[in-house]
Amino acid sequence: MIPFIKRATRPPIITTERADSTAVLAMSILVIVACLPLLRFFHWQITLFLFCIAALRLISWRWRAALPPTGLRAVFTLTGIANCLYSNHTLVGLDGGAALLATMMLLKLLELNTKRDLRVLAILIGFLVVIQFLFDQSLLLALYCSLIVFGMITLLLELNSSNTDTNDWKNSLRLAGYFSIQALPIMLCLFLLFPRLNAPLWNLGLDSGQAMVGMSDHMEPGAISELAVSGELAFRARFEGAIPPVNQLYWRGLVLWNMDGRRWSQLATTGAFTTQIEIMEKPVRYDIILEPTQQKWLFALDVPVTTPTTAQRNTDLQLLAPNSIDKVYRYSVQSVFNYRLNEPSAARRALGLQLPYNVTPRMRELVAGWRQQAANDWELVQQGLAFFSREQFYYTLLPPRLGLNPTDEFLFETRQGFCEHYASAFALLMRIGGIPARVVLGYLGGEFNALGGYLMVWQSDAHAWVEVLIAERGWVRIDPTAAIDPTRIDHGSASQLLNAGQSARFHLDHTNVFAQWARQIRVLADTVNAAWQNWVLDFSAQDQLMLLEQIGFGAWKEYGLAILMLITVALTLGLTVLGLLRQRPLLTPLEAHYMCFCRRLARVGLVRQTYEGPRDFGQRVVKERPELAECVNRFLAVYIPARFGAQTSDQLVNQLAQLMRHFYPHQSLLQRILTRLKNTNRM
Amino acid sequence: MLNRIQRYFKTLLRQVPTGNDGIARITARQIYILPTSTGLIFGSVVLLMLLGSLNYQNNLGLLFTFFLVAIGLLAMHHAWFNLLHLAIQVRGGAAVFVGEMASFIITIRAETQRPHYDISIHADTATSLPTSGVLIAGHQQSTITLTLPAQQRGLLPLNSVRIATHHPMHLFRAWCYISTTATTLIYPQPTPHAPPPETDAGNVNRPQQRRRSSGVEDYLGSRPYRPGDSPRHIDWKAVARERGLVVKQFGSDQGQTLWLDWSQLHLADPELRLSVLARQVLDANHNGVRFGLRLPGGVTEPPAQGAAQVHRCLTHLALFNGR
Repeated sequence: MIPFIKRATRPPIITTERADSTAVLAMSILVIVACLPLLRFFHWQITLFLFCIAALRLISWRWRAALPPTGLRAVFTLTGIANCLYSNHTLVGLDGGAALLATMMLLKLLELNTKRDLRVLAILIGFLVVIQFLFDQSLLLALYCSLIVFGMITLLLELNSSNTDTNDWKNSLRLAGYFSIQALPIMLCLFLLFPRLNAPLWNLGLDSGQAMVGMSDHMEPGAISELAVSGELAFRARFEGAIPPVNQLYWRGLVLWNMDGRRWSQLATTGAFTTQIEIMEKPVRYDIILEPTQQKWLFALDVPVTTPTTAQRNTDLQLLAPNSIDKVYRYSVQSVFNYRLNEPSAARRALGLQLPYNVTPRMRELVAGWRQQAANDWELVQQGLAFFSREQFYYTLLPPRLGLNPTDEFLFETRQGFCEHYASAFALLMRIGGIPARVVLGYLGGEFNALGGYLMVWQSDAHAWVEVLIAERGWVRIDPTAAIDPTRIDHGSASQLLNAGQSARFHLDHTNVFAQWARQIRVLADTVNAAWQNWVLDFSAQDQLMLLEQIGFGAWKEYGLAILMLITVALTLGLTVLGLLRQRPLLTPLEAHYMCFCRRLARVGLVRQTYEGPRDFGQRVVKERPELAECVNRFLAVYIPARFGAQTSDQLVNQLAQLMRHFYPHQSLLQRILTRLKNTNRM
Repeated sequence: MLNRIQRYFKTLLRQVPTGNDGIARITARQIYILPTSTGLIFGSVVLLMLLGSLNYQNNLGLLFTFFLVAIGLLAMHHAWFNLLHLAIQVRGGAAVFVGEMASFIITIRAETQRPHYDISIHADTATSLPTSGVLIAGHQQSTITLTLPAQQRGLLPLNSVRIATHHPMHLFRAWCYISTTATTLIYPQPTPHAPPPETDAGNVNRPQQRRRSSGVEDYLGSRPYRPGDSPRHIDWKAVARERGLVVKQFGSDQGQTLWLDWSQLHLADPELRLSVLARQVLDANHNGVRFGLRLPGGVTEPPAQGAAQVHRCLTHLALFNGR
């Protein structure tokens, strides 16, 4: 047989595209990085399991033999599910679902055979990212996650391009950046105009029972000093007009009446506000943006004269929201500083005089002594304040532990305490003296944010003070903590490190540079955070409707929104696509240098004509401006062979760059004006 | 019935027509696009993300969901754009024998500055394989060879090819049909052995007995490879020296003339006769003799020798249809 005819051989059939190992590694790292922020919400057993699987994946990338076979993988999967069930007792719900998703995604890493597997896993990363936002919506996490999503898009692009000639990560990164920039305007349109739900469709038990830093509904020794070391924000206040002096800013929260010997608590029921306030000045108007508290009460400056539309005001001048506040809550209030409250009823008076069981004889003796010297109730109050000022009372964040009768021990033995100790003791002493008294919890002062133009009130500004009932004056605010001699503040305790220096409780000068820096950084961070909160996290259906009204489609409601969304998205997409069509060609470095050369000459009036090649143009330039001859000739001597010759090298390009660095043709001012005029005339 | 319906729908398909210059240019209305299975998964995951974020009123989740929605929309447009303004020219490849892989040479040119990624070619027959994706830079061209098994002698037409892309993220697949008129010539499959042709009775002045193999021994020189040259004559040493494909040319005795005649073969099956003749043509060429071909219906190829003669004779055999 003559071997003329080759037997027909078909190329091998590729049914599935194999995943290459670099892509597998990139995918593994991406999934692990995407899981990291979730770990802090997971049970330690799940974290341990995830860690083991991730380690196995990374090891088996180096040594392929470590990759578990199918049977073992099935065992791992079952173990993973059992682990999730054991830790969370459920596979649904937010915690259970997130743990299961993370476990399954990491397990899938052990089985990445085809490109399809990689693609599906990359897409699921998007889901994982969104799940994270149900746990935490901070700006930092958002930035972190945008990097992850960028990586995911790069990977998807790379997976598709690696079967072409360019197996190049750089190219994929460039494309991903290009895509992201194109996607941003469309994303913005959708975000602004996509109709939102006002009420959830279903509730998968979004955990709201997370420990929240914030004020509790009672006060006992140590309650507020716990808050004072917290760095969390309580609320932001934006004033219309000037901000009142910081020592006037008593943010009224809740009013405590009952004292059981150790803790102060609220009344079970309080009627709606009926009495009148005598207002003696123009009210201050302000908006408050309250962070979630999981409680109903709202804060307002002492005392609020209006009620926010969604809230109620009770007899104690407390503001209450209808539901507990589980997301940022915004309301506007008006307050006055000079006021007179009407006399309360006899029943209330009696409530304000209730005494606990553990009033000791020496407390009674103390008050009896004051009573003898005081002519009336008001003077008795002054006596009490003078007592705190005169005796060796210390203000500290770290008071000694108090036993069964904290008030007595504090007054006569330890004499060290925080504002709750002073408020509690003072109110009790007043009651013993026959003056109705109650404790008010709230915040004092705040930090002005000059960048954002609002006041930041921190949890560390939490404060307690007393209100006493004086005949013909009504309830009067007394702050016993302010009576302490400022020299007796414990600077060594944590209060100095935190905010006490800034706090309105005591006016201290900050000479410490670091503390000032820290403060400025905090102000900046809060401004960014407030903007984030305001523009991204709190954007709601109401804002959308407002936006719609501003455009003039207010009457159309949700339909208008939907139509507007379709139109704007289509327009944005159309513009993007048009931009794609008229993309300018990319210049090679060589061409770019020549363009730059021509541009600099054009600036001094030597415009290259379209019919001129580099040599003709160069000759004309030399003729018109002989002093440029050397530079121009040297440039063209390199450029012409490099551009039109057989070979170009990076070295030549670098040489051109070197020449361009020193090529700045000058022109006298007069000439420059003439050129400018000539150019405009030509146009 | 089903076939008819299928054929009816095929007539509805938009195809890219080939212009007078033999080049098919893809325009906007000829591109089809559908999501791939990966695209469907992407869509359902995004939908799930949207529902979840809306339900929990999670604006950050919505923001990221909308980013992915925008990426999906862009991917669709990019896939579509990736085919737009491509110019395609399909040419038949070198002639092959039945049983070999016939080739079609497809040249794809980017008509604009935009690069086109991941372009692949599929023939619309079940037996062909898709080619892997290629990148075509702006204003550049790329040549893809599409191979089809040659099953029947004659002209193998390639009525329609699909040009497809999964760019940029394999979420969408865009394709269009290119109607072509390109053909590749398929020679009949030569039988493994053939009886030596009987000497022509009319050819009396044959001076001497033909010497086997004499024609391959007189080396005359070399010339560049042309399709259809025997691989035996390729100067493989020259290939190894990277001088390209060069064919050694051999001279032979001028005196011998062989007539390969249809009527002298006594076989019932005409296809078999053609196959035997094809083998005889190859043998004759191998032996370096002058040969001619006579087929019924007045088809006659005057005696000559060399690769061109082989091609002429085999073409007659391939296209023979008179019985």
